This record gives sequence, C-alpha cells and structure tokens, in this order.
Amino acid sequence: MATDRKAEVTWQGDLMSGNGRVDSGTSGAFGGLDVSWPARSEEPEGKTSPEELIAAAHATCFSMALSHGLAEAGHPAEELKTSATVTFQPGEGITKIALDVAGRVPGIDEGAFLQAADGAKQNCPVSKALTGVPEISLTARLES
Amino acid sequence: MPRVQREANVTWAGNVARGSGAISAGTGAFDELPYSLATRIERTDGKTSPEELLAAAHAACFAMSVATELTSAGTPPEHLDVTATVTLDQVEDGSHRIVSSELLARARVTGIDAAGFERLAHAASEGCTLSKLIEASAKVTVNARLEGGTDGD
Repeated sequence: MATDRKAEVTWQGDLMSGNGRVDSGTSGAFGGLDVSWPARSEEPEGKTSPEELIAAAHATCFSMALSHGLAEAGHPAEELKTSATVTFQPGEGITKIALDVAGRVPGIDEGAFLQAADGAKQNCPVSKALTGVPEISLTARLES
Repeated sequence: MPRVQREANVTWAGNVARGSGAISAGTGAFDELPYSLATRIERTDGKTSPEELLAAAHAACFAMSVATELTSAGTPPEHLDVTATVTLDQVEDGSHRIVSSELLARARVTGIDAAGFERLAHAASEGCTLSKLIEASAKVTVNARLEGGTDGD
C-alpha cells in the first residue's frame, strides 16, 4: 500500500531577499517554519533549511531501520541516539551526509552493532532516495 | 561560497513496531517532533515521518528555485505556493521504497502565460539540487498553475 506525505511552502519575493514558510501538509506536526537563502547558505539564525530537513528525514529513517534490524537479529535496542549532518556546497548541492549513532542495546557486541548500523544505512528508504549524494559516512558505538 | 553544515538529532526508544522517536533540529527551528512506524505508514495522528520531512525539504528547495527562475525572467512572483508529495510504496521484494515526489507550484505572477510558467517550473526543478538527487532513484514530477487571472493574456 502506498503512503503519501505532503509538505507545503509559501514563498514571497525573490531568492536573495525573499523568504518562505514551511508547513507539514499531511500530519500538521510542524508549521510556520521560516526559510530563506541567507539562512540556508550562511548563518541559520534559528531558521531551518532544505538541508536540515534532509538531515531530519535521514536520521529518522535510519533510526527506524536500525531498530528494526536489531530486533530482527534478536537484540532489540533500548535507545538509539542518531544525528545526521548534511554538508551543502552552494552552487553544487549536497556533498556529504554524516550519520552518527550511539546505541544502548543489551547483549550485542560492537561488531554486530556496526554491522546492523551499516545495514540500516544501506537499506533505509531515505538512504535509497539519496544514492546520488557523493559520500554518506557512518560512525556507530555502543553505550552502556 | 563556504560549505554549510546542518544537523538533526533523533532519539529512538524500543523496537520498530511499538517504539517511537523524537526529532530535533540543530538550528532549533523544531524540537522533539514525535514519530513512529504506525504513524509513518498508516494514520499520522499528527506525527511527522521521514517522508514528510523529505517532502518539506524538497518543497523548500523547489520554492527557492522557482523564485529564482521567475525573478531571472523579469517576472518575480507576487505570491508563490509550492507543495511536494512524497510517496513511499512497497516494492516487489517486500521492502519499502520512496517511489516518487510530486511537485506543484501555484503562483500569482504578472507578465507570464501558463506555458511560460510551466517551462520555468521545469527549469526550476532541474536547478533544484534535491530534485537531481531524488531523480536518481525515484520519479520527480512537476506541475505548475498560475493563479489570480494575471496570466499575461
């Protein structure tokens, strides 16, 4: 079954001096998020950007896939803390995404955790949608 | 231009079927948005999902590109609304894939006709870095509609 998720942006003005507002169109979970080109390409000053939203999409997708992989392997996670850092080169695009995960997973060794994390990085739907990104890196560690 | 980094953080607790997570933006623009598997693929119950966040990223990127194209053409928008709809589907091997992102631009612009706006909207998608990335594995469609009767006729 296909699932649709929609988001809306209202933009006013040109690129350099204009600004936009981002709303979640399906869930209503977020709304009124300001975006602008200066905030995207220079100091954010509390404003989100397409790249930060990609970071959020990737970190959420990866965390879910990893929790699934760990449970399938018989080691359900108590807690996963993931960050995704997206590097954007204006004029070029997204050049790198760095995933970092720290997990509290009873009964698993470091090697198996790394393997599960790598599987999540390869297979989560957002990773597959971003195969055009030149570099996606991963660091993973266990926490007690 | 210097490189720009943007970060988001997620905390996930529990297994995938019954667990849940919370997403925060490095910039502080949003904080602790909840999400879960059930709300990702079924009813949202007010919770966002990776696909909705991807739709938000794509819409924001495309809106900036459309504003750029219209301004370069000498017809800056009076008003511009953009939506992106991302579809997640189960594919033949049983896994879930993002199969498409559908863009719609609706604008109030003086001095351009519908065909001209549609051309610019397609050029804007080609100029949007996220469209290029998503096109490598999924279908990106572009629809454009002029509003307010100022279609230059």
